[in-house]
Amino acid sequence: MKIRAVTWLVIPALVMLLALVLYPTVYLWGMIFYSYHPARDPYPFFVGLKNFGILAGDSEASYTILAMLALVGITIPTQLVLGSLLAILFTAKNTRGKLGLRVLLLIPMMIPAVIIGLNWKMIFFSKGPLNGLLSSLGISPQPWLSEPLGNPYLTLVSLAVLDIWQWTPFITIAVMSGIESAPKEVYEAASLDGASEIRTLWHIVLPMTKGIIVIILLLRIIDSMKIFDIIYTLTYGGPGIITTTFPFQIYKTGFTLTSVHPDIGYASLMALILLAISSCVAMIIMRLFHIEKLIWE
Amino acid sequence: MQKMTVVLTLISWIILVVYLMPFIWLIGTSFKPIGEWGEPYLLPQNPTLRNYVELTTGAIYGVRGHFPAIIRYLINSIITASVVAMLTTLFGSMTAYAIQRYRVGGTTFASWILSLRMIPTVAILLPLVILTRSLGIYNTLTGLIFVYPVIALPIATWFMIGSFKSIPREAEEAALLDGCSELEAFYRIVLPQSTTGLATAATFAFLFCWSEFLIPLLLAPSESAMPLTVFAAYFSNQYGILWGPLSAAAIVIAIPVIVIAIVIHKYIVRGLTLGFIR
Repeated sequence: MKIRAVTWLVIPALVMLLALVLYPTVYLWGMIFYSYHPARDPYPFFVGLKNFGILAGDSEASYTILAMLALVGITIPTQLVLGSLLAILFTAKNTRGKLGLRVLLLIPMMIPAVIIGLNWKMIFFSKGPLNGLLSSLGISPQPWLSEPLGNPYLTLVSLAVLDIWQWTPFITIAVMSGIESAPKEVYEAASLDGASEIRTLWHIVLPMTKGIIVIILLLRIIDSMKIFDIIYTLTYGGPGIITTTFPFQIYKTGFTLTSVHPDIGYASLMALILLAISSCVAMIIMRLFHIEKLIWE
Repeated sequence: MQKMTVVLTLISWIILVVYLMPFIWLIGTSFKPIGEWGEPYLLPQNPTLRNYVELTTGAIYGVRGHFPAIIRYLINSIITASVVAMLTTLFGSMTAYAIQRYRVGGTTFASWILSLRMIPTVAILLPLVILTRSLGIYNTLTGLIFVYPVIALPIATWFMIGSFKSIPREAEEAALLDGCSELEAFYRIVLPQSTTGLATAATFAFLFCWSEFLIPLLLAPSESAMPLTVFAAYFSNQYGILWGPLSAAAIVIAIPVIVIAIVIHKYIVRGLTLGFIR
């Protein structure tokens, strides 16, 4: 069979992506049966299913999975509510300077995450502006990055604030486009029926933007499971392992060899599990989105 | 009604300014001299450009030892991001054309490329570190240019699928009837019509590479290839926290991105949702 000329067009990208994705995946599958600590072992050695056993008894790893899910659980609903409220305010008929609002709102989501981590490290700093503001209001300053309000687990909330700050505008802008693309007749018909603008928005327009919101939320869920940069710069996983999420644990296990079971084989197993989790979410996204329609219709 | 307009506009803008305050604070700090870094006021009392100047000379406030100058890292960032942007836009548009017009690879191939946008990089980096080491391109710009497409190529491809979809097929079909080959139709007819799409896809690829932190953290540990993002993190790790130069470096990294974002603001949501939302 002769290969069509257009088929050649995909070859460069295909080769590149196979090298960058398929090769690593195969490599990881091979490594999960080995143990290797560069400072300890001269070369990787076969250990069979031992890594699975370690994982089963590794309470630190299970905590980091929970921390990852907790982060998703805190950030996504907050972004949805806050983002939608802002969108309603910014698209209100009487709000002026809509284009300016929309363009300036892009700033947080376009700043590299690593910069956001450094920026907020300064905001949260013990003598930083946030504590300065609080003490001028008569509230005692908080150690935001070790134990805010006396509870170290609340550091996860401090971390979540960064992601919320960065990505709420994304929801806002998307919902704004949704609201603005609603046909004018909807508002006219509703106002003839005596419905207020807010009621029309809530009961008619927002349900119409549901499709957009679902897509954005799924993309947000996937992305917040990948959060790395802001953890690295803001808390480095601390205090203890409280803000260490699963991807960060993989980094500590396989790259810096500083977790409780530092081992490249073991890190490979965790990496495959992370890949499996995100592939599941990705598959749901793909099912929901009707790719055929998106590309060809 | 007038009153309502004033109130809503005022509330909206006040909320926006408060919302952006952390970033505004960063700008303020970048102009503060050393004694004022930790002080809880926004505007520097003795504004100075010293933080920026010393980024370029590398000797930050003398006392804390020698700092590398920013220029090398800036060049590293610009080179890798630009080369990857061009490369992935080229390969991405070829792939996108084959997928969008000729269904090469079918739904499976298209979904696979889409799903690559969603995988966590940390999971596949371990083998890639080993691969670049064995290819002898670890800690080089070539190494970064080799690996960055894993994030940039899916984005460029999907963005171009959207662009090609919006270009009418008539001119192309006429050319094909005139005996023009499929590849010629692509280069001569379709590509010239999609310059805006190509430029935007390249810009997106550039932005993603410019912002990337984890890949260079693991693949480019020293000056020879390290980009700005990793360099900036330096300021808070190895030498304590130097708020002034740190803020200045952060601004240097963020400003180009913000300018670009404002220029292409119409396409941002579409780009970030891979064309799901226009």
